Amino acid sequence: MQDTRPTTKTFTIALLGNPNCGKSSVFNQLTGLRQKVGNFPGVTVDKKVGQTLLPNQSAVTLVDFPGTYSFYPTSIDERIVVQSLCNPQDINYPDGILYIADVTKLEKHLLLLTQLRDLGLPIILALNMADVAQKEGLEVDAKKLSRQLNVSVVKISGRTGEGMGLLKEELQQMVDQRASYIAPQPLFKMTEVERDAAEAAKEIVPEANTYQGLLIAHHYEWLPFLSEAQRKLLADVAKQNGFESLRAQVDETMQRFDKFTPIVRSAIRTQSQGGESTTTEKLDNILTHRVFGPLIFFVLMLLVFQAIFAWATYPMDMIESFFGYTGEWIKSNLPEGWATDLLTDGIIAGLGGILVFIPQIAILFLLISLLEEVGYMARAAYMFDNVMRSFGLNGRSIVALVSGGACAIPAIMSTRTIGNWKERLITILVTPFISCSARIPVYIVLIGFVVPPETIWGIFGLQGLAFMGLYLLGIIAALFAAWVFKLILNTHERSFLMLELPEYRVPVLRNVGLTVWEKVRSFVVEAGQIILVISIVLWFLASYGPSADMAQARSEALATAEAQNLSEMETKNLIASRRIEASYAGHLGKAIEPVIEPLGYDWKIGIALVTSFAAREVFVGTMATIYSIGSEQDEYSVRDRMAVERNPITGEKVYTPATALSLLLFYVFAMQCMSTLAVVKRETKSWKWPIVQFVFMTALAYLAAWGAYAWLS
Amino acid sequence: MVATVQQEQPLSATPRGTAGTVSHFNDPNIGSKLMAMGVLPGSRVRVVRKSPFGGGCYVKVDNFFLALRKEEADSIVLK
Repeated sequence: MQDTRPTTKTFTIALLGNPNCGKSSVFNQLTGLRQKVGNFPGVTVDKKVGQTLLPNQSAVTLVDFPGTYSFYPTSIDERIVVQSLCNPQDINYPDGILYIADVTKLEKHLLLLTQLRDLGLPIILALNMADVAQKEGLEVDAKKLSRQLNVSVVKISGRTGEGMGLLKEELQQMVDQRASYIAPQPLFKMTEVERDAAEAAKEIVPEANTYQGLLIAHHYEWLPFLSEAQRKLLADVAKQNGFESLRAQVDETMQRFDKFTPIVRSAIRTQSQGGESTTTEKLDNILTHRVFGPLIFFVLMLLVFQAIFAWATYPMDMIESFFGYTGEWIKSNLPEGWATDLLTDGIIAGLGGILVFIPQIAILFLLISLLEEVGYMARAAYMFDNVMRSFGLNGRSIVALVSGGACAIPAIMSTRTIGNWKERLITILVTPFISCSARIPVYIVLIGFVVPPETIWGIFGLQGLAFMGLYLLGIIAALFAAWVFKLILNTHERSFLMLELPEYRVPVLRNVGLTVWEKVRSFVVEAGQIILVISIVLWFLASYGPSADMAQARSEALATAEAQNLSEMETKNLIASRRIEASYAGHLGKAIEPVIEPLGYDWKIGIALVTSFAAREVFVGTMATIYSIGSEQDEYSVRDRMAVERNPITGEKVYTPATALSLLLFYVFAMQCMSTLAVVKRETKSWKWPIVQFVFMTALAYLAAWGAYAWLS
Repeated sequence: MVATVQQEQPLSATPRGTAGTVSHFNDPNIGSKLMAMGVLPGSRVRVVRKSPFGGGCYVKVDNFFLALRKEEADSIVLK
């Protein structure tokens, strides 16, 4: 192992541990807000990196690796750990390891520790949940454990912050005397066959030790840093020696357990007898009950949904009016011209369009991370796994699907808890089918053209039922699309549930706060950039056109206004209406008219389809501008105006039930939301999936709209 | 461990609420994952309840809890 590293690079410590060991609490304790989220190269696994100050004021870098049970991975998350640690050339290869173990479950949390210990890296074992151990009357002889495992041991609590000072001192010692923290002897004794395979693999990777060689021999099929020739070589070696990976894995695991179990037993003294029902078991008797469990889940989700819907309204209104007023103020205080328009209608409107989602994102993640911290989410995943799996989804997808009813953006961001990439991708792809709150204004405007405001059976408003029908349609589309993707997409990853259900715990508010902060920040910074650019492009399309057309539109509008003796307000609205017709967006609307004609739409609706790509609710505002009733009007005045619109050639009404139903269906299915596409791009790390999503959703929307129009007209 | 019926049977076949001791796993792939999670030959396991929509179960293993799919539970053989 090389001991001298370039001094320009700070000492990097990998934070590792089993899932539910309380690793992120420790990470947050050590780094606070000095953390940022990046990615492991080539995959969509989040990599949290933070700085921590040691007692001597020097800084070390902490990298939070995904929770892992062993070096024999089940998911992409866990593979990251193996690929970063078995290759000393990897950019994430650390200088040392901080291993977090739940002290109340030491018998199973030490497996990975013993594997890490054999890598030849300096390592510290932190026994987490010292506070819980004390409460349960569990005593650990840290010295004995340290001596027998040959690893230095610190007792801490990530929840209370207990022992953090000691831990930092220990980390400083590790930085200063790196070599003395490396275990002298590997714990695991390889067989002859294993050793041969390991030695062969070790030759390929410079500076790897024998255990790293063994890991490479186990995982050569997928390790990304190997070439095809090297893979073939390793396959041949395995064949010649009769090295069977799966069998060797099991034997290694058994040998390790056999070695450390007696050590743990001798170092631990417990007063609890086991067998009695714990609080967790009692709570789960109700919360995961076969009947009450799902009911409680739906009530909880209803509350979450309600919170996003209701609580977010106030801050959202405030943000919207703030940007509205700022825009107005700038317009009236700066000279008229394209620069002012760009600033107000492009940039400020775009910024407003980004920031307006913050309340929903913050509230959703506040509640979701509370449920996650408490330990409830694992239960939800357990209860719905079977239902979701029949559609190619995962138990955890249910959370995203339900929150998609408020807004697809936070919902898609919440899919990161799904380990299996295929299941996560399908969840991301189908969540926008769930009718979100932005569709409501569109539904309100259009539903009246299709369904009369009548009541049946005394209580049910027909329009309300139709409203519910549109929501149901979205849910059906989401499940159907998921089922289709399940058949199309391939994966080599095997899907497992095998989910640990952690004990219920009081949430650590610091962790919740940091999660909310991180989600909001990453939305604003990453998705926000894309939204801003698209919104500027849309502004340009709607405000500019061939200059001759635009000038003509203006003079014609003025002439009409003078002839008809219109008021100042009416004149302004008329000019806006004629200008949008002459703009590039208007040209675009007319250009797509042949395509949308079979759906029963004219070019005016075409313009609204183009502009409402920014966000669905823009449909209403655009309609208002086109029909020159001023964009400040509410949904109902827009509807009244649309009701009298007639086709100039045939003289027939434009908004017949057929056209309106066709438009409704279009908005149920179509991916009319640039922000969602931006988030999908961010979450899938490629433009491929947002494009796929846009194409199939629009295609489905087109077919449904066309079918409805053809059937009704 | 009280010896009751000494017959090997998969975990999913045991009546809900009865505890048993893991003998081995009949799917080595699932078995190796389960072992990494701390389910070992010799561990005490008990099916606490079946999941609401079928296809899985809630299992207590020594001092922790696991949610398992049916095929995962099937691979655990009790003695």
